[in-house]
Amino acid sequence: MAAPISIAVPGQLLGQASDFLPGSGTHIHNSKLYASILGPISKTIPPKSQGPQKRLTKITPAEPARPATVSIERGISLTSAKDGGKKAEVLPDVNSTVLCKVTRIAPKQASVAILVVGETVLDGEWQGLIRVQDVRATEKDKVKIFESFKPGDIVRAVVISLGDQSNYYLSTASNSLGVIMAASEAGNAMYPVSWKEYKDPETGVSESRKVAKPF
Amino acid sequence: MSDRRRVNGPSGGTHTPIFSKYLAKDVKELNRPTRVRAPNVLRKMFLKTGVTPSASGSAYLEMEPPRTRNAIGPGLASLSTSGLKLTCTVHGPRPLPKNAPFSPHIILTTHVKYAPFATRKRRGYIRDSSERDLGVHLETALRGVIIGDRWPKSGVEVIITILEGEEDQWWGDDRGRGSISAGEWGMMSVLSGCITVASAAIADAGIDCVDVISGGVSAVVRGSEISDRLSPGMLVLDPVPSEHEEIVSACIVAYLPGRDEITDIWVKGDIGYGSQSSEDNPSYEELTDNAVQAALGSHRVLVGALKETAALKLAR
Repeated sequence: MAAPISIAVPGQLLGQASDFLPGSGTHIHNSKLYASILGPISKTIPPKSQGPQKRLTKITPAEPARPATVSIERGISLTSAKDGGKKAEVLPDVNSTVLCKVTRIAPKQASVAILVVGETVLDGEWQGLIRVQDVRATEKDKVKIFESFKPGDIVRAVVISLGDQSNYYLSTASNSLGVIMAASEAGNAMYPVSWKEYKDPETGVSESRKVAKPF
Repeated sequence: MSDRRRVNGPSGGTHTPIFSKYLAKDVKELNRPTRVRAPNVLRKMFLKTGVTPSASGSAYLEMEPPRTRNAIGPGLASLSTSGLKLTCTVHGPRPLPKNAPFSPHIILTTHVKYAPFATRKRRGYIRDSSERDLGVHLETALRGVIIGDRWPKSGVEVIITILEGEEDQWWGDDRGRGSISAGEWGMMSVLSGCITVASAAIADAGIDCVDVISGGVSAVVRGSEISDRLSPGMLVLDPVPSEHEEIVSACIVAYLPGRDEITDIWVKGDIGYGSQSSEDNPSYEELTDNAVQAALGSHRVLVGALKETAALKLAR
């Protein structure tokens, strides 16, 4: 039907819903698959699973061919900016990894501004909230927000809920999540020394943070 | 509401007054623009997306200005008639303001504003009722096409500036026969253009839509060549009010060609009192069908412009 580089406009028929799986930028209406954004059509065919074909003594029916996923790439829907790689706006969604900056801390929660979702730098600033019980997975009752974050820290977190009217709820309860960049009281960039400590290279003072595993 | 924040120019025309010998004569001798297109032919249309770099999506639409039959008349700018020029910017999806309640889908807001110089009679800086009316119609038309669930907790703003508006009637009729006041017929073409240009800008912004929506206008017009009795009404697509002596009724639709759905319809004037449609008195259905045909025409331009933009972006 579609050549690999053909361009779809919203509402363009892409095929029967039974033949393809709907990817991003598509929707289903009356069991037919339609495009919903402007962009190039891409088809990804799932790799054939290496199943029990090795057993030559048993005859199994051929595995039903899995349908290809049809999606419309969102990347090109951008204004004619010179940087050439600006992606269209993507919203934070549940389970997406985000980079954010701590704006305010309180005993029960840290307010953050979400700056990056996945690989995409956002245009607007979306507000997020890391509650005290979501900072780490163990010993949740001993967590203190002011020993985990400071305003200005850059934090890697995962979205756990769309949250309330203005905030997304975020969590750093994993080894790979937490503060990835921090500045000391003196204003110097610090380096992590343990899972809960950052150290200032000039003054030698350590400060406590919820540190993200560097690698 | 009066505008107290600016130093406003005098209300009245935006064109310079004309002191021409041609005006002393009968109005009929001035060359009124006449429709040179066939009744089912639309005006030529120019559509381009991505004109505003700071917006997430934008588009510009221009319609061919009407031509006078014998263009040897005075070349005064004031006597010229304007086409339609619209620019649309889409901002978003972006976060809702702090005090807004939780919304599981996108919040659409539309603003339609005439530039102060857009029409022969100067417009104010604050939106008046007709502009708000256009905004509400546009919002209704777009709400049916956007897939709002894909963008929870966010808002999108569609802002249209009318740089050159459609006139409600020929300017020569303004003084001479002021009693026959045209009922804002220009708004119909403007709304149709707004829908088409907003659709292009939304597609440019990458907001999910079920289809590309386009606007179309049809009208029943009546000339007055025969002086004794009323001349028969005629159905035309994409009417230009200044080209016709009288517009009996007009219809504008926002149409989804892929689904064969109409999200907004607006009919004005005398229509549908006859049970049977005749040559003289087309029925309501006929008028609407013709508006849909006009929408299909602009849809082709829209799809062509969108594919062009996408190909351009891919090539870079």
